[in-house]
Amino acid sequence: MAETTTEAKPRKLLPISQPISVLPTDVARIYTHIHPILILSLYYLCFPSLVADPVTTLKQALAPLAHLQITYCVVCLPPSKGSSTSPSTSSATPKKKKVTFAKPIAKPPASLKSRIIPAVFSLFLSLSLSAPLLTVILILFGAPLTTHFWHNLLCATHISLLGVLPLFYVHGVDARMWREISGACLPFDEVWGGLVGSILGAWLGAVPIPLDWDREWQKWPVTIVTGAYIGWFVFRYAGGYLLRGKRIEFD
Amino acid sequence: MSQRLSILTLTIANLLIPLAILIFATGFFPYKPFIAGRASYGDGKDGKNDNKYGTAPFDKVVFMVVDALRSDFVYSNHSGFTFTQSLIRSGAAMPFTAHATSPTITMPRVKAMTTGSIPSFLDVILNFAESDTTSSLANQDTWLSQLKDKPEGKLVMYGDDTWLKLFPSVFARADGTSSFFVSDFTEVDNNVTRHVPLEMRQSDWNGMIIHYLGLDHIGHKAGPRSPHMIPKQAEMDDIVKQIYQAIETEKHLQSTLLVVCGDHGMNEAGNHGGSAEGETSPALVFLSPKFRTISGGSESPLVVPESSFEYYTTVEQSDIAPTLAGLLGFPIPLNNLGVFIPELLAFWDDDVKLHLMQQNARQILDIVRGTFPGLPFDGTTDGNGCASLNSDGETLDCLWSWATKSLDPPGYGDGAEALRAYTEFSKRAQNVMSSTASNYDVGRLHIGIVLAGLATVACHTTASTALSESRSSGLWTSSVIILYGAMMFASSYVEEEQHFWYWASSGWLAWLFLKQHSTLPMGGFWKAWLSVPLLAILRVIRVWNQTGQKHAGEPDIAKTLLPAHNSILWLLVLATYLDVVQRLSRRALPWTSRRVSFAASLALGLTALSFKVDFTKADAPELLDGLHLFFFLRPMKEASLIAQARALFIGIMALLLLSIFPVINKRASQAGKVEDIAQPPVDAGMLTDEVSALRPLHDLFTLFLMTQSRATNIPLFLLFEIQCNILDLVELSGVEMTLTSHLFQYASFFAFGGSNAISSIDLSNAYNGVAGYNVVAVGILTFCGNWAGPLWWTSATALLLSKRRNQGRRRRWFEHVSVLTAFVSSGVLSVMLACMALRTHLFIWTVFSPKYLYSMAWSMGQHLCINIGLGSLLYWVETS
Ligand SMILES: [Zn+2]
Ligand SMILES: [Zn+2]
Repeated sequence: MAETTTEAKPRKLLPISQPISVLPTDVARIYTHIHPILILSLYYLCFPSLVADPVTTLKQALAPLAHLQITYCVVCLPPSKGSSTSPSTSSATPKKKKVTFAKPIAKPPASLKSRIIPAVFSLFLSLSLSAPLLTVILILFGAPLTTHFWHNLLCATHISLLGVLPLFYVHGVDARMWREISGACLPFDEVWGGLVGSILGAWLGAVPIPLDWDREWQKWPVTIVTGAYIGWFVFRYAGGYLLRGKRIEFD
Repeated sequence: MSQRLSILTLTIANLLIPLAILIFATGFFPYKPFIAGRASYGDGKDGKNDNKYGTAPFDKVVFMVVDALRSDFVYSNHSGFTFTQSLIRSGAAMPFTAHATSPTITMPRVKAMTTGSIPSFLDVILNFAESDTTSSLANQDTWLSQLKDKPEGKLVMYGDDTWLKLFPSVFARADGTSSFFVSDFTEVDNNVTRHVPLEMRQSDWNGMIIHYLGLDHIGHKAGPRSPHMIPKQAEMDDIVKQIYQAIETEKHLQSTLLVVCGDHGMNEAGNHGGSAEGETSPALVFLSPKFRTISGGSESPLVVPESSFEYYTTVEQSDIAPTLAGLLGFPIPLNNLGVFIPELLAFWDDDVKLHLMQQNARQILDIVRGTFPGLPFDGTTDGNGCASLNSDGETLDCLWSWATKSLDPPGYGDGAEALRAYTEFSKRAQNVMSSTASNYDVGRLHIGIVLAGLATVACHTTASTALSESRSSGLWTSSVIILYGAMMFASSYVEEEQHFWYWASSGWLAWLFLKQHSTLPMGGFWKAWLSVPLLAILRVIRVWNQTGQKHAGEPDIAKTLLPAHNSILWLLVLATYLDVVQRLSRRALPWTSRRVSFAASLALGLTALSFKVDFTKADAPELLDGLHLFFFLRPMKEASLIAQARALFIGIMALLLLSIFPVINKRASQAGKVEDIAQPPVDAGMLTDEVSALRPLHDLFTLFLMTQSRATNIPLFLLFEIQCNILDLVELSGVEMTLTSHLFQYASFFAFGGSNAISSIDLSNAYNGVAGYNVVAVGILTFCGNWAGPLWWTSATALLLSKRRNQGRRRRWFEHVSVLTAFVSSGVLSVMLACMALRTHLFIWTVFSPKYLYSMAWSMGQHLCINIGLGSLLYWVETS
């Protein structure tokens, strides 16, 4: 309450993050284009059964999705430096203890093992941290609270695996970094674009639900998941090329 | 643009809006001409209205309307109509489902049943305005006037006074009951029932109308599954039994026809007005011992598929008029579009059947000729292959030829085919004429659209300066405008409009979170997190009342959770009142001691709360079941609700005047001394603002709005108050505040249970403090009751905006109004364009016309009167 509103020069959060580039190997450059096709194919294959039985399908699709995302991280992305160099601004982050998982790595081909372990750890984090958080966000945005619990949780898990897992992989659990992420001031690259796209897509996915077409696919959460996948795909490329390096402008 | 020019532009835009709306409305809801005069036998050329077979089976009719009698109430196996069902089984009762067209409210439905026509949408407005002259049917041809014109014709009427308004000085004896005191389930019906035995003994009338309202009231209060429903149905069934037995035993009643019907049905929430199947499917039963001769009886109770209301044969409600004409032997009313119900033709032999259908068709043909003046309708067209023609007029012309040719040469034609042909023609004409029921004045529609377009352009030029300040809020504003405009073209989005506002509001709050997070100074991070409780409260608000079409009646907080746990409800209500009282006691009467202002505030709060408790006791007693803790709050137990409400309104007014004038006076004298010295910086948190004149005003206004809201909606004000206090801590720019206010105004309207359907208009608090009928007072109270959420946010916005002192005050309010005008004018424009483009669409009556009425209320009531009128006044009070 006693906050003084100094109009003059607010010490704003100055984003320091740089856009992520794909690893400079041929495999990485090729696979980064194959990966989204694989993901969308997975989604396309699952769609009929997703409409018929969302919970089972979303559950079954988790394993292939997680595998694909881990493969993508390992093959294409630089793992985080793993340093928790959050300077003075350390806010209480519950995951502080676990930050020393990845060794500083040499730029191009680090050993496969040193990339797989952080990838698996990112999977663990995105399942245990961001999936429940995204479930809460989904509910705040209007997802059914008293029913459809598994629908919500699985939908959030899919968004989490799509958008957040690579983010954990490339940025680790650096507190400063996550403050920037929660303020959405990261520069666009294909990882950040993927997260923005999947969340934006999920939000836009709610649009066709009220239409009176009475189609099966209008039921919860099919359109949300669809929106998330399409948004992820679009913004992944937009972030990687068109918007690369730009930040979301709030003014 | 200079300041003065932009003020002028904005003023013009705001003057153009009501002008555009009114001109468009007169073109969109035109007054439908009707054929004047009365049909009579033997006046027609070519044998029209010929009464050569004067063999009507009945000479008297008892027309019993049970308001909102949905088909399943009579026919299903969860029905109290056991006696009626036994008559259906025996054949003495002929059951139908009578399809009622939208708007499914009483007055247009009574018009449809009595004239046989399809009433215009204008009748909705007239139904609420209840103006006696314009909607009167005294000069129109109805089966009532036909009955009355018979030798020794005499009509009596008991029940809903809509009939007395529609038919002034038609009834020889009448006793009207008002349909607006919805909380009364029993008295209103007893006032009708007590006349029934007396009238059964009288032999002087040939038409008796009784219209029961209790069942409709139960629907509005507690829905179709209310525990009151079955006993009420049994009570109605008992009346049917009483009348039927009188017909069986009394000699003067032996040729009496009893018709039992609903004027409309109700939806799962118990309301009506729209076009859900439940609302458009009332029951219609013809009863008389004579029906045993033509009917072998039907299965009853009947089981139909889940959520279907189609029992037995479905007929149109307008079919009642020609059917009564045939059964009672009088000419069909001139404006009739109904078709004689074929099942009831069995009273006569083939010649008379054909004759009746022919008369019916000829009478309809007169109206068809007026609608398609270019076509011959003289039987010269080829009467074959009518189905393949694509224009409605040509099809009708072709069908007419088929009908006339099938009788060639006279006396030798195929009578059965002619009967089929005439029936087909009449049905088809009924269909065509009800879809082209309105002849739009397209010229006026265009003028309205052009004016609304000009208003939109004008206010966008003034709003553009405000919007260009911040790119992101400009983008949000224009996205909301464009998406809302596009949405108006899809009927399901209009029906489910609430989703848009909840969806956009939650997106906007998330955006504010991110924005605050990234732009706030390092020490102010915590402020970003304030968006989270805002979002959480919004999440609660959106499930407070399930509204719209698809999910109406589903479990929610106000209609499911709180009634089931009424102690929680009253704790929340109490908390809301206490919150207002404690804020008021710190601000009201600033010139007296704290003790006096506390006492005054507490007294007013207790009066308000005790009124709410008493009102609820009369209005929704189930909410007080098992609760006795409020009884000590009843100092004026004897006083009537009207007196209580008046005392409360006067108290609010008095406290309001006593609170603000001293402050304004003091301000004025101060301002005289120190000219234009910059205001001292004020702490965040308006609660500490000592000189606020608006604060007590806002609290008193809240108290008034709470009085105008249902008890189950009152806790929403507490939630709004929390949201408002949070918004005060979050530093929003002017445009951001305006957008937030706009989103919250609309979201709150739907959170209170509003929708774009006529059925969701809540009349329960429309009569607070009003004795008798006062159109203006009831209109204002109805508006305040239904727009309580938006009204609250208008006041709160003035409060929040007046707090921001860093930029020019007038400038800020001007920008606020210009952005709001941009929202409203473009919204009106898109609604008009949608109505124009889709005017031949099936949904025009059911979805787009009600939407137009709502957007009239939004733009002329909420925008012009409240946001600009009241808002500016409040802002001026605070900042002058
Ligand atoms: Zn009614
Ligand atoms: Zn009603």
